[in-house]
Amino acid sequence: MQLETLNLNYWAIAPEVIVSITAVVIMLIDAFSKRGAHRANATTAMIGLVLALISVATLGRVGVGSYFAGMVVIDPIRIFFSITILIVAILVVLLASQFLSDEGLPPGEFYSLIMFATSGMLLLASAGDLVTVFLGLEIASITTYVLAGYRRYDIRSNESSLKYFLLGSFSTAFLLYGMALTYGATRTTNLDGIRQAIASGQIIYPQLLMIGAAMMLVGFGFKIASAPFHLWTPDVYEGAPTIVTGFMGTGPKAAVFAAFLRVFVGSFDVPVEGFGLQLHNTWITAIAVIAILTMTVGNVIALSQKNIKRMLAYSSIAHAGYALVGFVTGNFATVAFYMLAYSIMNIGAFAVIQILARAGDQKTQIADYSGIGFEVPGLSFSLAVFLMGLAGIPPTAGFISKFFVFTNAWESVPALRYLVIAAVINSIISVYYYLYPIVVMFFRPLNPGFVRPRVTRTTALAIIPDSARHLLSGVDA
Amino acid sequence: MVPLSWYLALSAVLFTIGVVGVIIQRNVIVLFMCVELMLNAVNLTLVSFSRYLGDITGQLFVFIVMAVAAAEAAVGLAIIISLFRNRETLNVDEADLLKL
Repeated sequence: MQLETLNLNYWAIAPEVIVSITAVVIMLIDAFSKRGAHRANATTAMIGLVLALISVATLGRVGVGSYFAGMVVIDPIRIFFSITILIVAILVVLLASQFLSDEGLPPGEFYSLIMFATSGMLLLASAGDLVTVFLGLEIASITTYVLAGYRRYDIRSNESSLKYFLLGSFSTAFLLYGMALTYGATRTTNLDGIRQAIASGQIIYPQLLMIGAAMMLVGFGFKIASAPFHLWTPDVYEGAPTIVTGFMGTGPKAAVFAAFLRVFVGSFDVPVEGFGLQLHNTWITAIAVIAILTMTVGNVIALSQKNIKRMLAYSSIAHAGYALVGFVTGNFATVAFYMLAYSIMNIGAFAVIQILARAGDQKTQIADYSGIGFEVPGLSFSLAVFLMGLAGIPPTAGFISKFFVFTNAWESVPALRYLVIAAVINSIISVYYYLYPIVVMFFRPLNPGFVRPRVTRTTALAIIPDSARHLLSGVDA
Repeated sequence: MVPLSWYLALSAVLFTIGVVGVIIQRNVIVLFMCVELMLNAVNLTLVSFSRYLGDITGQLFVFIVMAVAAAEAAVGLAIIISLFRNRETLNVDEADLLKL
């Protein structure tokens, strides 16, 4: 292969490069400064993320296409998901300063880990090859394992991190085995190449590709927490520091959805006569079953939760199910918008929970929220907005995104309308457990001994625009 | 020459041993070794396909997998050590604070 055909263009990977360099710079600042370089770290992280956001915005000028011998692609999906990921990272950096100072945890590592995780997620969203998918996924996952255990002396955090690590690497092995078999069947790891191989019908061993696709489905299923591969989610989400829970429930999930879309809808979905059609029908059916199972399991178990973090963990399982409904249509845009709206709502909800839970995550039971509605109106109102968004109540972005996904699936795939019906029934069930904390906050007596939590300026800066944007984007769209 | 199917069968067996090990073993270190075994089974598959197809991508992929596995081992052992400091056990059944 000639050097020119590799198409090396460093502008095409500018966001990933900027974010990784920022991570290294933060580590250096932390190493060379005395204690209390907190502000410098946070500022550097913020500058890096904003620069990355600008470079994502200029990706369109670089030109749609594939770069680095097909390893990295530029297309609307990448740009949209990259923006989602960077928004999540910016919100987490804003929220992290209060968390780190309240808990007395070292700031340098936290910011640089967030940055490394972000670079992995960006790479995952831009992957044009199975090798890049794997690499991006692992960069994002390994850093998130560490973040889950960031509260080092808290046994819950240790446990959460261990479970996440064991099940995460277990699922990665499945994904990797799937990739190896796909490579053997199609002779290439390039996603475009796989598509062409299926379209031309020149598959060396069709059975291998079928098994490979199934293995990859298991691997991705673990990472997005879809049933029946969701069992790690509640434990991991409950034990991890709340801010990290917010981060891993949104950023990595959105990034994995991007790669999942690319691999399954982008490469495996070639309904040509013969094997292509067979593969198409098989995976569409598998996705439909997984989607229904995921929504139902998530929503039904969430009904009985007493801990708000656990409840939101099951809610995030359910949301993965709704997003999977968008897969069957093969329409990228609805899933992308769904993940953006979901990320904003979820991270907002976890931000409020983080503040109300105090240092050490002591108050995370729904009963602890009793009567705080008029005591801390700002926080309670924001939480209510986010929860209503997650439930999909009309004026919010949550409703609009759900509406897009469901109507799109209803119109474009008549054979799978039962899927949309199941999704709507599930949304109705979910309203109960989302409204319950709101009722508890506003209509129950206040617990004696309630102390108003401290809200710093940066935290407010994250929560207020977040909830406003959330309400407004619903009205605009 | 040994046919491709033998290599594939061997790596499938190794992968299965890894999966079964993760399911039935209780010691964190052994669990971790089983995951490594699964990754190495994948490496074997990749290398044998690469040789069979006469395509170099598979071998390059193996290098990346090995690098990632090393990073994963470092992080995994660190996590295990921090759990052991707080709990003094390596049995996963006793890490049950977060059970439903």
